[in-house]
Amino acid sequence: MKVGLTHVGVVAYIIASSALVFVFPQSVLAFLCFEASLLVIYYASVDQTTKFCLGTIVLLVLLPLLGSVNGYYLEVAIQVGIFVALALGLNIVVGFVGLLNLGFVAFYAIGAYLWAIFGSPQANHFLPGNLFPLSSVWFFPFLLLSVGVGALTGALLGLPVLRLRGDYLAVVTLGFAEVVRALVNNFDKPINITNGPKGITPIEKPPLFFQPLLEFLGFSVNPSTLYPFYFYFLVLFIAMLTVVVARRLEESRIGRAWKAIREDEIAAAAMGIPVVRMKLLGLAVGASFASAVGVLFAAKQVFINPESFTFMESIGVLAMVILGGMGSIPGAILGATGVTILNLQVLKGLSLWLNSVRQSGIVLSIPLFGDFTLSQIPAQFEPAKYERMVFGLILILMMMFRPQGVLPPRQKRGH
Amino acid sequence: MALLELRGISKRFGGLQALNRVDLTLEDGMIAALIGPNGAGKTTLFHTLTGIYRPDEGEIHFIGRSLVGLKPDKITGAGISRTFQNIRLFAHMTVLENILVGMHCRISTSLWGILLQSQGAHRQERDAARRAMELIELAGLRGKENEWAHQLSYGEQRRLEIARALAANPKVLLLDEPTAGMNTTEAQSLMMLFKDLIGRYVQAVLLIEHNMRVVMGISHRVYVLDYGEKIAEGHPDEVRRDPRVIEAYLGPGTWVGDAQS
Amino acid sequence: MELALDILPQVLVDGIVLGFMYALIALGYTMVYGVLEFINFAHSEIFVLGAFVGVEILLLLESAGHLATLHTAFVLLIVILSGMLLSGLAAVALERVAYRPLQRSPRLVALISAIGASFFLQDALRFFESLWRNTFYLTYPTLDVLDKTVPLGLNVVVPVKSLLVIVTALVALAVLHLFVNRTRLGAAIRAVAQDPDTASLMGIPVNRVIALTFFVGGAMGGLAGVLFGLHYSLVNPYSGFFPGLKAFTAAVLGGIGNIPGAMLGGMVLGMLEAFAASYLSILTDGAFGAEYKDVFAFVVLILILILRPKGLLGEKVREEGA
Ligand SMILES: Nc1ncnc2c1ncn2[C@@H]1O[C@H](COP(=O)(O)OP(=O)(O)O)[C@@H](O)[C@H]1O
Ligand SMILES: [Mg+2]
Repeated sequence: MKVGLTHVGVVAYIIASSALVFVFPQSVLAFLCFEASLLVIYYASVDQTTKFCLGTIVLLVLLPLLGSVNGYYLEVAIQVGIFVALALGLNIVVGFVGLLNLGFVAFYAIGAYLWAIFGSPQANHFLPGNLFPLSSVWFFPFLLLSVGVGALTGALLGLPVLRLRGDYLAVVTLGFAEVVRALVNNFDKPINITNGPKGITPIEKPPLFFQPLLEFLGFSVNPSTLYPFYFYFLVLFIAMLTVVVARRLEESRIGRAWKAIREDEIAAAAMGIPVVRMKLLGLAVGASFASAVGVLFAAKQVFINPESFTFMESIGVLAMVILGGMGSIPGAILGATGVTILNLQVLKGLSLWLNSVRQSGIVLSIPLFGDFTLSQIPAQFEPAKYERMVFGLILILMMMFRPQGVLPPRQKRGH
Repeated sequence: MALLELRGISKRFGGLQALNRVDLTLEDGMIAALIGPNGAGKTTLFHTLTGIYRPDEGEIHFIGRSLVGLKPDKITGAGISRTFQNIRLFAHMTVLENILVGMHCRISTSLWGILLQSQGAHRQERDAARRAMELIELAGLRGKENEWAHQLSYGEQRRLEIARALAANPKVLLLDEPTAGMNTTEAQSLMMLFKDLIGRYVQAVLLIEHNMRVVMGISHRVYVLDYGEKIAEGHPDEVRRDPRVIEAYLGPGTWVGDAQS
Repeated sequence: MELALDILPQVLVDGIVLGFMYALIALGYTMVYGVLEFINFAHSEIFVLGAFVGVEILLLLESAGHLATLHTAFVLLIVILSGMLLSGLAAVALERVAYRPLQRSPRLVALISAIGASFFLQDALRFFESLWRNTFYLTYPTLDVLDKTVPLGLNVVVPVKSLLVIVTALVALAVLHLFVNRTRLGAAIRAVAQDPDTASLMGIPVNRVIALTFFVGGAMGGLAGVLFGLHYSLVNPYSGFFPGLKAFTAAVLGGIGNIPGAMLGGMVLGMLEAFAASYLSILTDGAFGAEYKDVFAFVVLILILILRPKGLLGEKVREEGA
């Protein structure tokens, strides 16, 4: 392996940006620089092995280290991972099969409530025997179960709607998600299944199955400091798993069938593709991703309520897929990362900055307009609250200027 | 025994009788041509035969099995494959992927095989890719396997579509105006290719053609449709002299050899 | 059961009011779908904009002290007309900026852009109101006349504001009907809806007709917005979501692209919803209550699309060409 200047440059960038975060642990800008190192690795003209090694170091070593300096960064990374998996799931439905599913959040909600209900005392309300909450050991079986439940609901939704034209399908899936949300919101009576708008808490976390090992090795770590790291690695693992699954499917006859249906349904059928079955499969696979991530989300949040599963979430994930490029796995990853960081860090950062500006009480003298005291900036104006505007702008601008996305699917070279 | 047999196929669109009791037989080793003026119902016959439309009446037998009511993918699976008049490639897929899609029903990897990358799945993919490269070679698209289908020239797209149809490993190949937009020389060289396909890739070819001249040399039998009715059938030389054909196809007083669209 | 009968007149009035509201909004969806075969997802925000124009004008009049002095009928007229005008113009601008550049793109591309526009407009409205009033939850000032009630005999009383909605909507629908069926511009809209290519060959300026359609549909949505505000008082930038989706359902129910269908669909849906809101709880002994009224429309939408996608009055949907 030849070590060129690029290698040195990339490594230098990674070291420099991590050092920056260590020195300024509160600086959003520093962390953004560090996050960009993944992009640098992706784009750098170095061989696959190097990329893989560098990526592994950044994700497995550096990021957790920085997370120990500022815990919020772990939270950001966890959220990014969750949205990456969601975006990859939606990318299968929208990007590969070409079905505009506007109710994707419903499957996320189904997974989340699946674990929330049984992983908390909630299920005692309608099942006898005071068996709940299930012990945390059940977390992993439920993760598997949620894949099945998600796939099943995805396919069940598909059965009636697949005959509809694309735009009707979009509205009906949106309606489906609202129905799910209304059910979740109101099924605290006649039997209390979901606890309604009050939500469910406390939800069991995943089991610390490795604790004996840690103790054996002489570490005694307090679970509350351990959990963020645990969740980080768990989310990372699941996100990676979804990447692998999505890629294997894409490069198989199933993925090709999906794309063929997206391109021309009639020609696809004439080439021997069972269109309805393949569409159902696509909806099911996408839904199962979302549902599995939902289980994870519930366990991480400890508390969930219907507010987390609104139409805006569906559109947020759609914006990620579209920003990255429909039908492109790297695109979905980039889109999910970019939008999440924008929301969690850039907009929040702006909000904080505005607050500090407001408190400074500085008076600006603008020619013609006269004096303007910065403390007059209305308190209601908070950039962090404008997620919808961000999603909306992404959707409009991408459709107008770059409908294929930032990282459109590429033609593969060689075989 | 006939490979493919259509008996009394009718299809109506509202008040329009697009096909009226059409019979057609295709035998092993045969190239047959389906000709007729624009709007005669030729494409509709293909759509009906391949399950895109369901015939109002009539029977379709393929190697002793009825095809009526089957979905298009099942018919392709049974061994009938086609191209479209207005080329319908998968534009945002590569040339290779287009061909591999054609092989869909000949690859049997399961979901689990794919997810776990089983030995079997791997081998099937490799074999499929190898055969796809052969077909790409046959279509004269070597070196273009990784280009998007929509980047190909018109003629290349036509050939790719034919290769894609062959990828399904059909017994019968249906070609809807494969030479549209080509000049007579190009068209005739394509016809030679079809002739070579018989016995090596397919057992029989049925092609729709506008230009009567290009099918004369190679077809064993010609069917003529007009206003949804079969008005003539037979050896090209008989059909070309049939006054009904001349009149229907070209209007009275025209010479067949000038038939160009 | 007696209780059920007692509330029946009230339920009917509620249903009619809702029905007209949905009918007015549904017109925007159906007319645009008629000419462009495209769901104007941001129409719900055009509706909300009407409501905000209304509340802003009333608040401005109030703070200037004119609300008490001017005649209520005159105030209402100003509010309604400005709501219609601004919403209509906003719809035209929306078409120009967010949809026209995408006319040649696949339909889903335009739909995605429309969804983006919907989200953008919600927060743009919020942004504006936050800067301007430091809140984006606004309340309509009270107009005394509207809160009075009119007795209709048999112990039935109807609030004046309900009458206002009904009468205004009837007038607007009648005018629209005449406009579409009796004027040259209306004929142009119908021609484009029938077949844009032929219409363009016949010398109809298709893009101008499309803009006109957006204007008329937007004005109807704006009117619905003002009436919504006058009737229910509270508005915020996100209040359009449910009315918008229900109105879309109404449009589909009546047969999308079909103007009388939108009115019929709106009425049917309004009635269904009013009855569901009041009687669901009685019928199920309290197990399922009015909370489900919002999803009721979705269930209707899903059922109608699956069972009769062309709607109640719809023409046969074009056969998928092969
Ligand atoms: N899906 C359809 N709906 C209504 N009419 C159709 C449809 N498809 C074809 N037709 C009509 O059927 C007739 C035969 O068409 P077609 O089979 O395409 O003719 P050809 O291929 O011989 O030129 C034409 O008049 C055409 O307009
Ligand atoms: Mg044809």
